[in-house]
Amino acid sequence: MNLIQEIGFLLKKEILIEWRQKYAISGILLYVLSTIYVVYVSFIQVDPKVWNALFWIIILFASTNAIAKSFIQESSHRQLYYYSLANPIAIIISKILYNSLILLVLCVLCYTFFGLVAGNPVKDSFQFFTALFLGSVGFSITFTFISAISAKANNSATLMAILSFPVIIPILLTLIKLSANALRLMQDTSINKDIMILVAIDLILVALAFILFPYLWRD
Amino acid sequence: MKRITSITFLLTLLSVTPILAQIENPDFMQSIGKIYVVVASIVATFIGIVLFLIFIERRLSKLENQINDK
Amino acid sequence: MKHWWKILSVLLVLYSLTVGMLVPLKTGIAEVSPLNTTTGEDVTLIIQGYNTNFGDAKGQIRAWLKVDKELSLLAKSFKVKSDNLMTATFSIPDKLPGGAKVKDATLILDSEVDGSSVLPSALFISQKNTASEFDVAEWSRSPIANLHEKDGMSFPYRNVLSETIRNLFYHVPLWFGMMIILVVSAVYSGRYLRTKNEEFDFKASAFTKVGILYGILGLVTGAIWAKHTWGAYWSWDVKQNMAAISVLIYVAYFVLRSSFDDPEKQARISAVYNIFAFAALIPLLFVIPRLTDSLHPGNGGNPGFGGEDLDNTMRMVFYPAIIGFTLLGVWMANLIYRSEIIENKLLNRW
Repeated sequence: MNLIQEIGFLLKKEILIEWRQKYAISGILLYVLSTIYVVYVSFIQVDPKVWNALFWIIILFASTNAIAKSFIQESSHRQLYYYSLANPIAIIISKILYNSLILLVLCVLCYTFFGLVAGNPVKDSFQFFTALFLGSVGFSITFTFISAISAKANNSATLMAILSFPVIIPILLTLIKLSANALRLMQDTSINKDIMILVAIDLILVALAFILFPYLWRD
Repeated sequence: MKRITSITFLLTLLSVTPILAQIENPDFMQSIGKIYVVVASIVATFIGIVLFLIFIERRLSKLENQINDK
Repeated sequence: MKHWWKILSVLLVLYSLTVGMLVPLKTGIAEVSPLNTTTGEDVTLIIQGYNTNFGDAKGQIRAWLKVDKELSLLAKSFKVKSDNLMTATFSIPDKLPGGAKVKDATLILDSEVDGSSVLPSALFISQKNTASEFDVAEWSRSPIANLHEKDGMSFPYRNVLSETIRNLFYHVPLWFGMMIILVVSAVYSGRYLRTKNEEFDFKASAFTKVGILYGILGLVTGAIWAKHTWGAYWSWDVKQNMAAISVLIYVAYFVLRSSFDDPEKQARISAVYNIFAFAALIPLLFVIPRLTDSLHPGNGGNPGFGGEDLDNTMRMVFYPAIIGFTLLGVWMANLIYRSEIIENKLLNRW
C-alpha cells in the first residue's frame, strides 16, 4: 500500500468517525454561533477594525477546540493499532489534511454568520479568502502537531493552550495584517510578501511535523 | 545552607529597592547624559545573573544533602 | 587549559564593561533655543553643548546653519558663557532657497579642541513676505570646510540617547547571546532524538534555562532603556512583544517538561517541542519585526542596525561583548548540566 492510498483511507476514516459521532462538530458549530451572537448582543454596530480582530479570535478559539481532540479522542490502544498498520507520516498528513478541511469549512461558516450578523466589511474577497485558506492550513498544522505533543502529557487540555498560543502568534499576526488589507483598513503594496511569509511558515512547520512526528508517537 | 541562600536572596532584593526608587526619580536618571540608565541596566543584568547563581547553588546543596543522607 | 573559554568570557565581559563605560562620547549639541525664526532677521541661538569645552576653544569656534547640501550660513558672532553654554548669532537672508515656505536648518559646530558636532533640524526658518530676490551668494559665502576630528577613542553622540548609547553593549548582546544559546539548545534536542543519549537532553534543557534568563534580562534592560528614551517601560513595540512571546514559548517548554513522570518520554517529547518552537521563533524574531514599523533602529524594511548608530569604535566593544556574554551563558548552562548529570546518577544508584 503506498503513501497516497494510506492517506486516502485514513482521511476517509476520520470523516467517517466524525460523521458517526456528530456531537463534536456540532458542538464547535454551536460554539461559533453563540460567540457570534454574544458579539452581536454586546456590540450591535461593529467597527471594521474590531470586526477583523474579533473574527480571527473567534476562529482561533474555535480551531483550538476543534483540533485539541484530534489525538485525544482515540484510545491509546486503538492508536497503537493504527500505527502498526500505517506509516506515521501518513497518519500526520491525513490528520493535518482533515483538520484543514474542517477549519476551512469552519472559517467559511463563521464568515457567513459573522457577515450576516455584524455586516460584511470585506472589500477584496479574493485576498480575504487567500487569508482564510492560508490561515486554516497554518492553524491546522500547528494545532495538530501541538495536540499530538500534548496528548502524550497528563493534563493535555491546559497544556494545549499553553504550548500552542505562543507558537501560533506569528501566523495570527500575519493573518490579521493580510485580512486588514482585504478590509482596506490599510493599504499595503507589499502584500505578496506577507502571503509568501505565510506560505513559508506553513512549509517550514509542515516539514518539521513530518520529520518530528515519527519520534512522537512511539511509546 | 538554605538559610544562607535565603538571606542572600533577601539582601539582593533589598539592594534592588533603592535602585528602583531612584529609577522612579526622573531627574536623577536624566542627569549626566542619562548615564544612570546604563548603570541601572548593568545592575539589572548583574542581579539577574546572581539570582541564577543562587538557583544553581540551591540545586547543588540539595544534591549534597541527598549524598549525605545516604 | 580546558578552562580557557571561561576565563575568556570573564575577560571579554570585563573589557566591555570598562571600555564601554570609560570611553567618552563625542561632543554634541544637547539643546538649542529658540526653535523658530523668520527670514531677514538676526537670530541669536543659545547652544547647550554636551562634553564640550567652549572655554578652551574660544577663539576658534565656527558655527554653520546648513539648509541643504551646498547652502550654509556662517555665524556672525559668538559669546562663550561657560564650557557647555554659548550663543551664536546668525543673520538670516531675506529669501529662502527654492522658494520654500519653511526650511529646517542643521546646526554644525566646529573647533579644534572639540571636533565637530551636528544637530539636525535645530532651527526652523519661515519665509516672511518680501519682494526681494533669492541671492545664492548670501547663502554660500562661507562654505563648510576644514572640519576637525576629535582625537582619541570616542563613541558617537546621539541626541535622544546621549550616554545611553552605551547600553548597546549591555542590552543587545543579551539578545544575541539568547539566540545563539537557543540555537545550541535546539541542536542538542535534535541530537537527542537521533542518538537517544539522555545527556544531550540535559544539555538542551540547561541551555534553554540560560536562554530564558537572557531573554528576561534583555526585556528588563530594554524596559529601563525604553523608559528614558521612548518615555515608557513598555510601549508595545513589535520587538518588545515578540521578545516577550519568545520567552513565553520557552516557559511553556518547562511546563511541558514538568508534566511527565517517565524521564524517557519527557526527554523525547520536550525535544520535539523544542525544535518545533524554535522554528516558530524564527519568524517571530526576524521576519515580523522587519515588516512592521518599530521604535527600534533598523526596522520597517532596513536590514538590521548599523550605519550611523554603530561606528567602528563601538564595534570594537560590541562584538567582544556578544562573545563574552554568550560564553558566560555557556558557562552557566554547563554548571546546570553538570548538576543535572549528578542528580541523574544519584537517582539511578538507588
